[in-house]
Amino acid sequence: MKALTSAAATLLDRIGAWFLRLAEVVGELSLFTGQVARALLRPRLDRFETWRALYRVGVRSLPIVAVTAFFAGAITVLQVGTYVVKLRAYEVVGWGFGFSVFREIGPLLIGLMFSGRVGANATAELGTMVVTEQVDALRALAIDPIDYLVMPRILSQVLMMGLLFGLGSLFALIGGIGTAWALVKVDPWVFWNSFVEYVNVADFLNGLIKATSFGLLIGVVSCAFGLSVRGGAPGVGRAVNACVVASAVGIFVFDYFLTYLLG
Amino acid sequence: MNALLDILASVRTQARESVGVLRDTVHYTLRSPWDFAAIRQQLFLVGNRSLVFVLLTLGFLGAITSLQAGFQARRIIGDTSLIGQQLLPLLVRQLGPTLAGLMVATRVGTGIAAEIGSMVVTEQVDALRMCNAPPVDYLVKPRFLACLVMLPVLVIFGISSAFLAAMAVAASVFQTPPAVFATLDFVSLIDLAEGMTKALAYGASIPIIAGAAGLAARGGSEGVGEATTRAVVSASLAVIVLDFVIGGAAFLVRT
Repeated sequence: MKALTSAAATLLDRIGAWFLRLAEVVGELSLFTGQVARALLRPRLDRFETWRALYRVGVRSLPIVAVTAFFAGAITVLQVGTYVVKLRAYEVVGWGFGFSVFREIGPLLIGLMFSGRVGANATAELGTMVVTEQVDALRALAIDPIDYLVMPRILSQVLMMGLLFGLGSLFALIGGIGTAWALVKVDPWVFWNSFVEYVNVADFLNGLIKATSFGLLIGVVSCAFGLSVRGGAPGVGRAVNACVVASAVGIFVFDYFLTYLLG
Repeated sequence: MNALLDILASVRTQARESVGVLRDTVHYTLRSPWDFAAIRQQLFLVGNRSLVFVLLTLGFLGAITSLQAGFQARRIIGDTSLIGQQLLPLLVRQLGPTLAGLMVATRVGTGIAAEIGSMVVTEQVDALRMCNAPPVDYLVKPRFLACLVMLPVLVIFGISSAFLAAMAVAASVFQTPPAVFATLDFVSLIDLAEGMTKALAYGASIPIIAGAAGLAARGGSEGVGEATTRAVVSASLAVIVLDFVIGGAAFLVRT
């Protein structure tokens, strides 16, 4: 009996510690979001820094997003194809593809990749600046790190996530049509016609809204984790790890509620 | 054009490093004694410590898929009772393993790269070499074996979590009773084999790629951050490409 109560106490202890840690992270992120929102009211963007961030986020993550989207399209066609071949309904393959890729698989996979490429990079970069006391130097020069470092990054991540989703859709379409032709043996024209007929702008906009929301989420999370780095090189590694984990959970939670709201 | 060439060159170096680490890992796995204490510790770190994360994310994934499938089924055929039987095979053969694999690449891959990278930067790996303990044998092998064992386990837990969440959403949003939703009859042996093959392939590739990225870390904290970023991107990409390759093979077997 005594062993049982002590085991229950340890379990409660662990659950409590877990919730305390969760509350700490959520609270820190909320405070940080508040700071960002306040900075948004009086926008003082550094033009050079913003331009650099746009280039680094957009141009340098384009290849990885293109490859991911290409394979996302190919994988989706394989899964849709399994049903299509079973039911002999070759004319709906374009619909099944467009619907799943635009609304769900595309934003989700591109978001996870973006978080790994751009979010982790922003955390590592800001973390390194904190560890090497460059952020303290900025503060000493009366430059607000939120204005100078955080705003350009968040802005460019939101903007580029939308643009990359648009470009990624094109690559997903190429991957989808190619796989349908090579493996499922669906003529590209049959695929294209069913795609054009059944998939509409609403599906694409649905995905676009999801993608930009993920961009905002990744931007806020990565900058918040980067600026709160403590303790040298291992601290930077740990912060990057925590950032991608928190972004992934956030993406899934956002995705669920957006799916529910957008219908 | 130059950017493209740079990327191709970096892909080639990373692939070469990863293949080198893979060769060494297989060599040491077969040829040198296993340190069971280290393997046990890694099993705990890979399995137990990512369990909550995988359950949480895959649970949301199941809820999302159930919502999407339900909305479509309601709009087109007006009947949502079939989504359970169609969803489970999809979860078993593709969504479960791949999303769990991506989550492990994120959670464990960055962890491995950050840990080994910090050891490289602080010259602990050089110290290991001086003690005649090859870093791949001492650091990568236990993580490789642990991931190989734990990925299928995490995938099974993840699929269960996703299916339960999907059932809850179907019951609350579409009023499909759980008894109608939960049928195992439509999962074929090929689906199961496909899912488990994917889990094993991801389990083998994630620690190798992350370990190679960690061992290649140079410079101070900047190098560690860079290695961690590279690990998560390459490992996630490997998961997606393997998904396509294994999924394509299974598709050809099935049809």
